[in-house]
Amino acid sequence: MKDNNLELLKKEYLETKIPAELDDTVNKYLKEGKKMINKKKYIKRISTITASAAAVTIILTIGVNSNKAFAKTMSEIPIVGSIIKVLTFNEYKIDEDTYHADIETPAIEGLENKDLESSLNEKYYDENKELYDKFMLEMKDLEVNGGGHMGIDSGYVVKTDTENILSLGRYVVNTVGSSSTTFKYDTIDKKTEVLITLPSLFKDENYIEIISENIKKQMVEQHENDENKIYWVKGLEELITPFEKISKNQDFYINQEGKLIISFDKYEVAPGYMGVVEFEIPTEILLDVLIGIGYIK
Amino acid sequence: MGNDNLYKEIENHVIENKEKFYRLAYSYVKNSDYALDIVHESILKAFSSIDSLKRSEFIKTWFYRIVVNTSIDFLRKQKHITVVDEETLSIYDTGKLDKYEDIDLKNALEDLPKNYRIIIILRYFEDLKLDEIAEVLNENVNTIKTRLYKSLEILRIKMID
Repeated sequence: MKDNNLELLKKEYLETKIPAELDDTVNKYLKEGKKMINKKKYIKRISTITASAAAVTIILTIGVNSNKAFAKTMSEIPIVGSIIKVLTFNEYKIDEDTYHADIETPAIEGLENKDLESSLNEKYYDENKELYDKFMLEMKDLEVNGGGHMGIDSGYVVKTDTENILSLGRYVVNTVGSSSTTFKYDTIDKKTEVLITLPSLFKDENYIEIISENIKKQMVEQHENDENKIYWVKGLEELITPFEKISKNQDFYINQEGKLIISFDKYEVAPGYMGVVEFEIPTEILLDVLIGIGYIK
Repeated sequence: MGNDNLYKEIENHVIENKEKFYRLAYSYVKNSDYALDIVHESILKAFSSIDSLKRSEFIKTWFYRIVVNTSIDFLRKQKHITVVDEETLSIYDTGKLDKYEDIDLKNALEDLPKNYRIIIILRYFEDLKLDEIAEVLNENVNTIKTRLYKSLEILRIKMID
């Protein structure tokens, strides 16, 4: 091939049409990037503190066994040896008179299992991008129809971070008129680097029945102790279809103490003022159906 | 160097070279919306991995690498979709038949495997040196050389047909 041909190809390449939006896109995301850097500084500061906490742990380990109160304090210090961590990947923000959006996307870092890491991170990114796109669409729609109020907040909380387990919860609060809240959890076994699903904890599907019965019992008990606590459950509030049983993949996480927590979105099993509700399931009743002793204590 | 200075460096670099990054992304995805997405994702990735940029003199190859990887990731995710952009469609349109020769040439380039084509693009269209290309693609210089000669050979063969 003659250089002449390469020149031709180059010319064509350089003639790729540049869309007018390129400038806006670049400027917008440079700003996002700046925010990200500022956040990072913050995270860095925290990890410095954590690192010094580690130093303290090492020096004072001898003290742990001899002093119960001391042991408790120590257990609350984050595990420093683990390099698996959760960061904010990006944040979309809109703040206008009647529109408000704050969508924060987490990203998990430090897993050896890159397939798991990227599939989770992609899921977080894709879901939030969709959330944002949908919000923009609805906002434009509302604008065309005379305007109105709309808001969305999405973010994440690290529910549990122990030597063995990372439970990451993501929430979406949607405010159009009244608000709705949903919570989704992912729990990872940090040792084997696998995603823990609810069915994977149990031998068979009997857990659905056992957990559901316990939750129904707790609902009634809570109401008996405090009549303001209302659940849509048989014997209490039957006007609305009462709660029957959890779904096979009901949202859950494992808390710091190793207890199984079942979570319901706002309106799922109770009136709106009850918000997102959670039930701690006593480990004793699960012993027969749990696979070995591991995550749940 | 502190991240604040690096931020400035990256910002300037992106603003100066945005069209290059766009063209490169476009050469992979052949669709302007997708290419814009890749540019924006690359910017975010650059900032989230700012720590991997040790010194600012590496910024050129570092950012190209991010754009290339983001484009490849994107294609991997989208591989079930075949994209036909406006320009390609218009080639099949009537009235452009006088450009026959260019189309052959362009097709020959398009037919190259992606990891070969990128070398032609970076070497001849973006004027990178071979060791810079090696840096961008995370390969050693000899591999790049071999692929470059092979690409030229393939292009030549196709030209003759």
